[in-house]
Amino acid sequence: MTSAAGTARAAITPPPATAVPTLWPMLRLRWRRDRVQVPVWLLSLGLIALLSGIAVPASFGTVADREALVQIAVGTPSILMLRGEPRGPAADALLFFSLFANLAAAVAFMSTFLAVRHSRAEEEAGRSELIGATVASRVVPLVATVLFGTVAALGAGAVVAAALVVAGLDPTGSLLTGAALAGTGVVFLGVGLVAAQLMCTSRGANGLAAAVIGVAYVLRAVGDAGGTPAADGLSLASAWPSWLSPIGWGQRTRAFTENNPAPLLLALGCAALLVAVAVLLQSRRDTGSSVFAERAGRPAAGALLRGSWGLAWRLQRSSILGWAITGLLFGLLAGSLGETVVDLMEGNPVFQNVLVGLAGGPGAIIDLFTATLFSLVGVIAAAAGIQAVLRARQEEAAGVAEAMLSTGLGRIRWLFDYLTVGVVAIALVLVAAVAGAAVGLLPTDAAADRIESVVQAGAAQVPAALLLLAVAAVLVAVLPRLCIGLSWGLLLAAVVIGQFGDLLDLPDWVQDLSPFSHTPVVAAAEVDWSGAWWMSALAVLLAAAAALGIRRRDLAG
Amino acid sequence: MNPVVQTRDLSKRFGRVQALAGLDLSVAEGEVHGFVGPNGAGKSTTIRILLGLMRAGGGSATVLGGDPWADASALHRRIGYVPGDVSLWPNLSGGEAIDLLARLRGARTSDPAYQARRRQLLERFQLDPTRKGRTYSTGNRQKVALVAAFSVPAELLILDEPTSGLDPLMDAVFRTEVAAAVAAGTTVLLSSHILSEVERLCDRVSIIRAGRIIETGTLAELRHLTHTEVAFADADVTPAELAGLSGRLPGAQDLVAGDGRVSFTIDGAALPDLLPALAELRVQGLTVSPPTLESLFLRHYGADGEGQSDTPGASPDQLRHER
Ligand SMILES: Nc1ncnc2c1ncn2[C@@H]1O[C@H](COP(=O)(O)OP(=O)(O)OP(=O)(O)O)[C@@H](O)[C@H]1O
Ligand SMILES: [Mg+2]
Repeated sequence: MTSAAGTARAAITPPPATAVPTLWPMLRLRWRRDRVQVPVWLLSLGLIALLSGIAVPASFGTVADREALVQIAVGTPSILMLRGEPRGPAADALLFFSLFANLAAAVAFMSTFLAVRHSRAEEEAGRSELIGATVASRVVPLVATVLFGTVAALGAGAVVAAALVVAGLDPTGSLLTGAALAGTGVVFLGVGLVAAQLMCTSRGANGLAAAVIGVAYVLRAVGDAGGTPAADGLSLASAWPSWLSPIGWGQRTRAFTENNPAPLLLALGCAALLVAVAVLLQSRRDTGSSVFAERAGRPAAGALLRGSWGLAWRLQRSSILGWAITGLLFGLLAGSLGETVVDLMEGNPVFQNVLVGLAGGPGAIIDLFTATLFSLVGVIAAAAGIQAVLRARQEEAAGVAEAMLSTGLGRIRWLFDYLTVGVVAIALVLVAAVAGAAVGLLPTDAAADRIESVVQAGAAQVPAALLLLAVAAVLVAVLPRLCIGLSWGLLLAAVVIGQFGDLLDLPDWVQDLSPFSHTPVVAAAEVDWSGAWWMSALAVLLAAAAALGIRRRDLAG
Repeated sequence: MNPVVQTRDLSKRFGRVQALAGLDLSVAEGEVHGFVGPNGAGKSTTIRILLGLMRAGGGSATVLGGDPWADASALHRRIGYVPGDVSLWPNLSGGEAIDLLARLRGARTSDPAYQARRRQLLERFQLDPTRKGRTYSTGNRQKVALVAAFSVPAELLILDEPTSGLDPLMDAVFRTEVAAAVAAGTTVLLSSHILSEVERLCDRVSIIRAGRIIETGTLAELRHLTHTEVAFADADVTPAELAGLSGRLPGAQDLVAGDGRVSFTIDGAALPDLLPALAELRVQGLTVSPPTLESLFLRHYGADGEGQSDTPGASPDQLRHER
């Protein structure tokens, strides 16, 4: 021990010379706080892996089935973007192709949320001051978070590997899939920790980390969509952008076919670097400070800040702006890649015959492509809306809603102000995406037709997003303590069922549970808008239910 | 003997805000040192630097002979801390939080001595350790931090407004516990806005304003520095006579006339000169009172310029005349 000043009086028991074990209690604290959350993540990931591990070989039993499927995939960039890099017609390779990138994105979110929850959020709440004044001091809590997050990432990998083995897949490939997921997990643990050092709020840190995940996913998607197909049209080698993405590194292991673990070294190196940066920043800065400091605010309220709607908007305008920019980028991507896709396919004789039955001309192919990407924009819009209405609950838990509600403001009005900000967020995301797509489509032939189709594709995403928003509002009104986890969980379930329902071979009634299954498909010749109407009606009913619910319950801290 | 806490010319800046501007604080071993000053004066910032939660911008700080930033973790074994604004983990019970913090300070929670101490504190502070963090009231959250701090013996207790949420009964328990800790040899640095608490507990007091210590001493010393308050009815006193009075008594300060009374303060040593002058004016309803703690602090807290520690013989234009 350093600096044993000779000032201690005899009456105080001098501290024993052994080192105080602080890491273990900090680790236990993390486990104690996350003992529900992390297992739920792991089990969900394992369940998805298990179901698809069983469903894919079952639904595509023959080599011929799988060859046809892979050929279509290789020739359809929008499929490649949402799935991955096809490596031949073997059932397990097909599974890895369809599943890995999305599982990896999920593990990435698990890791960044975990990292921010145990670092910046603790600092924001002031609890890190209690801990920082103990022997654990400034750096041990961060080390504990690194260890805990690594264990969680390894756990995710292990659970998925075990599920795939149980589903009867090749153990080596299963293990490598798990290792690749764990690798992605630790990289994004580092991303979350660095984001927590940079931003002064946990919201800001989560937002930054999510943006990095989005960029990693898109880089990989672009790499796959622009990949070079093999001569037989049964496999693809992704282009260089996927080497820039941690998700791409995991995918590059090509589990079940080449089984090459080498790219995971990149993940380990990157994770080590990020953790080192986080530890360095943490050991040098003041508790409670951040690299990007809080700016001074305006001295008086602006014109919009004149009520609870104005407050709800003021609190969230920057995150809504972030969501809208994401929408804009997706739109631009969808719009500008459509033409390239058609060129690519027309230039490649392998695809010609595959695509004849699929679409009625280049215009229809572009429509299909943009519609596919717009299904992702719909998810982004729903997430933006859900986040906006959940803010009401966060305000309530923080105790500031009390101040608002003790003025003349009624509760229904209060909740609906957040709900309408959610509607605005959904609208802004979709408008931005449509605008981006329109800009991207301008140079194409018959641009007006294409743009009209994109406007429809954008409008088609509104009802499902509204429905999920209204469900979140009901949860805020009825189950305040659980609403945040439940709402995000429901969104995730809806995405998994909507995007992977076919792949997982889920029964129709389960697939029907996801609002996204009822989103009108604009690329079809006859667009069926019936789902849009009844989802909108249901959303209105649920909003009314939320109004009833919020009137009946106590405010809960 | 080395002071337990010693800072020299300590400074800290947050962007454009100069939170500390050359702070010299010294806390001697075994004393209860009061740390008082207006809101935003820099008390919590100083305390955070002493705990190594923040790094000093300039100057030096020594705590228990060590550097609070570099030796933070070694020093923290010997320090107990209660923050002013206690936030607990929402899904951990108070008992869990207390044990966690005790373990992180090196206590073995299975140790019967610790358990006995913890039980005793829970009883005295009437705290239910089974409630979840999110369900505690403000005062009860503070009690959790207090029990955690008192349950492990410490050489130095740093308390930042530890009783702002406590009821008077719990306040009394707090004072008993501080006294017991001091009897066992603990040094205490106590930041507080509750002056009666400071008066009852503290051996010495440092007054901080705008990031600087402007006065340090025992309460008796501070009182001595501060002037006696003199007031009388202004019924028969003309402004000219009043001006004459302040001319004759250059030591008189803060002359205020209003509400039918004239009041000013004066150094205790000047009282013998004052009385004949007042007799000449034949003033009515004369009161002469030693300064209350409030007035003592208010003088120092007030924002009217530098040089708060009153130098006797302030110029007459510092006298205010209000009507
Ligand atoms: N993390 C921070 N970032 C920016 N400014 C800060 C920060 N912490 C403190 N300050 C500023 O430093 C100054 C001193 O604050 P400090 O919290 O030390 O005051 P205090 O004496 O504890 O006040 P109080 O009696 O209200 O608790 C204030 O002007 C405050 O706004
Ligand atoms: Mg303070």
